Amino acid sequence: MVALPGRFNDGRTAASRKVMVSPSAAGLDIRGEDGLLVAFWRIDDLRADGELPDGGVRLRCLADPDARLSMTQAEFVRPLLPPPPRFPWSKAVAALIGTAGLLAALWLGIPAASRWLGDMVPRSWENAWGDALVSGLEKQWGACGQPAGDAALRLLVDRLSTGLEPSQRPRRVLVVRQRDINAIALPGGTVMVFSGLLKDARDPGELAGVLAHEFTHLRLRHPVAAMIRATGVGVAVTLITGDSSGVVATAAAMGLAGAYSREDEAAADTGGVAVLRSAGLDARGMASFFRRLGEKSGMVPVWLSTHPDSLARAEAVEALDGPAAAPPLNGEQWQALKGICGAEKAKP
Amino acid sequence: MTALPVATQAPFTHHGSTGAMVRLSLINLLLNVVTLSLWRFWGKTRVRRMLWGGTSAWGDPAEYTGRGGELFLGFIVVMVAIFTPIVVAMGAAQAAMAAGHVWAGLIVFALQVAIIVLAGAGLYRARRYQLTRTIWRGIRGGQSGEAWRYGVMMIVVGFATGLTLGWAWPWAEMTLTRYRMENTTFGDTTFDCDARAKPLYKRFVVLWLAGLVFLAGISAAFGAGVYYFKDLEEGSAAFFGFIAALYAGGALWALLTLGVPLAWYRAGFLRHLAAHTRFAGISFAIEATTGSLIKLTLGNILISILSLGILRPWTAQRVFRYACAHLRTSGEPDWQTVCQAPESRSRMGEGMAAVFDGAGEF
Repeated sequence: MVALPGRFNDGRTAASRKVMVSPSAAGLDIRGEDGLLVAFWRIDDLRADGELPDGGVRLRCLADPDARLSMTQAEFVRPLLPPPPRFPWSKAVAALIGTAGLLAALWLGIPAASRWLGDMVPRSWENAWGDALVSGLEKQWGACGQPAGDAALRLLVDRLSTGLEPSQRPRRVLVVRQRDINAIALPGGTVMVFSGLLKDARDPGELAGVLAHEFTHLRLRHPVAAMIRATGVGVAVTLITGDSSGVVATAAAMGLAGAYSREDEAAADTGGVAVLRSAGLDARGMASFFRRLGEKSGMVPVWLSTHPDSLARAEAVEALDGPAAAPPLNGEQWQALKGICGAEKAKP
Repeated sequence: MTALPVATQAPFTHHGSTGAMVRLSLINLLLNVVTLSLWRFWGKTRVRRMLWGGTSAWGDPAEYTGRGGELFLGFIVVMVAIFTPIVVAMGAAQAAMAAGHVWAGLIVFALQVAIIVLAGAGLYRARRYQLTRTIWRGIRGGQSGEAWRYGVMMIVVGFATGLTLGWAWPWAEMTLTRYRMENTTFGDTTFDCDARAKPLYKRFVVLWLAGLVFLAGISAAFGAGVYYFKDLEEGSAAFFGFIAALYAGGALWALLTLGVPLAWYRAGFLRHLAAHTRFAGISFAIEATTGSLIKLTLGNILISILSLGILRPWTAQRVFRYACAHLRTSGEPDWQTVCQAPESRSRMGEGMAAVFDGAGEF
């Protein structure tokens, strides 16, 4: 029987003692320099515990987990050790499924939680920050106002509000000097119509369609939910990736914000048609507006955009539309509203 | 403290290979990409295993027995039980403040204090986690003391440093370091540390004044920069040249006026700390010099920046290597007297402690 030199730590003190180790098929017979038995490690309990810098191996024993045996001449011992564990495929698959499940839960959970939290925000709070936001934007862009145009806008807003509960009506609708073809619903019940959109609109029905869409955003409290959602996405991504620089979180928040807001937009389209119809109007203007929007852009892929594909929206709106109705404003009122910003003074 | 024998022995060596660490870093990068970065807990564990295993004391390498799953579990616990409630509470309090409620400001302040205390407590728990999973010759390391106390200490010394315009910094740093050191155990034996901040003030005065020089230089450069900058055309070669010169000059200025005094102060700090630390009857010393610390730190900054953080494990390895190469002891303890700490905790308790100890670890 060969006897190999080794260093033994009994796991009770940090002292190291020189031993002679005799490997056999039954296990390792470990004796002190005096020849007395120090320990016998059964072959089934034997585990590799690490490589030593001098090429040796460190061993441990399941029956005495704190003890260690270091051997420089390891060639007789290595064949006795159990093979290194195989790659844990089942664990890896479980981890992948778990990750996918977690992501799915977040994907579905974040919008639901944001809606729930958004509903809990008191109206007075929402109005206070919404108004602060609106006055900032108003100062930056400049609001439009002319008596005849204001009157026409009020007429249109009142007409659209007939189908809404008093608490769900917008608190303020204004036109701001911005060239983009857009309108936004802000926290606190404010709708801003950009002068670019007003200029682009062909008839009062188109503007009515856009307003009905924005009013539905407000009724469903989308602006608050979207703010909370954006925060939630940022937090979730930071949590998963541990990236505190915010680079990944911002990118993901933008990507997901688009995906989530497309759902909001679809809901606002459907609700907008209902608003129009309860006001005794048709949704033909809404559909024609989307159709024109789709012909203009159409370059940005849907999954990157915050809004669904415009042509698809137009078709969805047409499917919900009822019989044709009279336009909400007469020609004179419509011209007054179109001229609310005065002649071509829109800021770049 | 009684007179100590001079610490001249060098029992620590680091024999880990840089190539292996770089390879591990790249494999971890790959796996992090595939798993949306969730691999990082296991990746970090493998890096530590390599760092610990490459470090020997008196000829025997250390072991790291932590597991990626423990870090992951601790992360989940912190995320669900601490992070998310705080973020929600903070968001609500800030919303209330924006809506004009003054009382919400108090809640925001209280939450900010709580966040700092929790961060300090988390750091302390993380250190305990690492120490309890550090094994040498079969004996476990450990850490006594209380995480909450450390968190409170951190915010108190932080306030003191701010209120005194930085003058309390050496005291603050030394108070925290001493608390960590005095509570560090190996087996049943505790480290002793009676390092004080007072001897550091000679170097700190220079560092503080150098800080003023740095700020004065930056302000002057900024003023001059704004003056010349407005005549440059945006996007022109001169524009980018100017920006590059500004960054290069700023970095060089920071290195000269801040980096060198800071390294000088840090060398003094480390020497004082090592000289006033004892373990099982032996004393320590560290041969830290200003030049070698600048070389170590500058190299690590460059590695981190140029590799976009991917090769940070390599910088950790350089720190281990530096510590092993410069640390001295007065002799070898009588290891017979250093025993395994009795396991006072039950199996279940240990499991729970493992979860919460891992909690600061991500």
